[in-house]
Amino acid sequence: MAYPDLQDPSIPDTDDRAEELARAVEALVFATDKPVTSDQIAEVFAEITREARPSPEQIQHGVDRLNAQYEQQRGALRIQAWAGGYRMATTEEVTPYLKAFFRHDRQRRLTRSLMETLAILAYKQPATKPEIDYVRGVDSDYALRRLLDIGLIDVVGRSDSVGRPLLYGTTSHFLEAFGLSDLVGLPNLREIEELLNDPAFNIERARLLMLKGLDTPPPSDAHEGPDGEP
Amino acid sequence: MYRIQVQEFEGPLDLLLFFIRRDELDIFDIPIAQIADEYLTYVRLMEDIDLDGVADFIYMAALLINVKVRMLLPRPELDEDGEPIDPRRELVERLLEYIRYKEAAEGLDVIHKHRANLFTRGEASSQEEQFFHETPETLVNTTLFDLISALRRVLTEVPETPVLTLAPVEYTVEEQRAYVLEQLDRLGQVAFVVLAGHWHKGFIISTFLAILEMAQRGVVWLTSTETADDFYVQRTPAQDKPRATNGAVAR
Repeated sequence: MAYPDLQDPSIPDTDDRAEELARAVEALVFATDKPVTSDQIAEVFAEITREARPSPEQIQHGVDRLNAQYEQQRGALRIQAWAGGYRMATTEEVTPYLKAFFRHDRQRRLTRSLMETLAILAYKQPATKPEIDYVRGVDSDYALRRLLDIGLIDVVGRSDSVGRPLLYGTTSHFLEAFGLSDLVGLPNLREIEELLNDPAFNIERARLLMLKGLDTPPPSDAHEGPDGEP
Repeated sequence: MYRIQVQEFEGPLDLLLFFIRRDELDIFDIPIAQIADEYLTYVRLMEDIDLDGVADFIYMAALLINVKVRMLLPRPELDEDGEPIDPRRELVERLLEYIRYKEAAEGLDVIHKHRANLFTRGEASSQEEQFFHETPETLVNTTLFDLISALRRVLTEVPETPVLTLAPVEYTVEEQRAYVLEQLDRLGQVAFVVLAGHWHKGFIISTFLAILEMAQRGVVWLTSTETADDFYVQRTPAQDKPRATNGAVAR
């Protein structure tokens, strides 16, 4: 993993201060059970040490420093950047232990309809219910209510269009639940042109169309390009 | 009264994609007349079994018929530049847009699974846990439309004229649930045709609904067969669900 060298001298900071900051970061991130922002860390650090507020870069450096230590010690924890803050979580290597411990079958998967609705919203946000319904071709009332219940989405305002429908968007809880630092971190949504130009489209089409395994892809003579007559 | 929430299965656009895939159609040249008719057949069957959420399918069927009619117009509609408009164009654009978001949903599912491997403090008692827990996993390694195809097949094989005319027998979904479970315990994995073939229409539909309902609650698994128009039913392996459910796609 790409954690910087422990002795990285590029940060204009005394080693003592950097060490103290890392310690503060570790304590705060350990003790909270939601992401701590670097703003919050900076404020507390400045208040206690009566020194200048550390910059977000310095805090990130502190986090990197801690992660490098954990890695060196083959520790079970890492600090993750989720939902615009920092959160301590276990590593992938120890997952089996945790899964065995919390055995009561953690089915943390969202159903197909919820995932579909969430995906549309994540990329299109803010979006109204009619916009989501149009893409899915179904009434998304139930899916939206469930997602609101779980706290993955929220009402973020009202659209200016007729009837001023509610606008929905994803929450910071969504970012945390999906291990994303911010919305920019979402996997890329492919453009339609890209989808069509992809030589694998025919194979992929077979897969995507019904989410089934790869069976015989249809012959590729079907369409020559995206600008062919529809 | 049993109402199966069809929302947890595929939607109206998926049914179109199902036909396109099954018949290996060119998405840019959909034989709309044929597809519209077949679409209606499926929707009627879904109405028969009274699936919840059929309204969305009926709406889509109406849209297809509208496109079909516009295709029949002697003079094509023209856009601002005087170019003829293919009435199917909007539909194709919608389908492609939909595929795009389906792909995105798969991507989200992947990162969600990855994230679920990392534990944070207070994990066990978190509220989120309960919410995710409420939803039983539906294990269906097939599509709703494969199931309906099987239903259609079995229904068309219903003996036409009974030798004896008896008072109609009512079958309830509860009874059929017990019947199906009994058969599964006896035979292991059973094909739908075996469970419901050559019975009365009421028996077939009640059995179908019982299976669908149990699949939704995660009691049984459904797997598609090699041949079309049938599917297998089996009991979900007891507790301690295998981590590697290679065969079964969890939805």
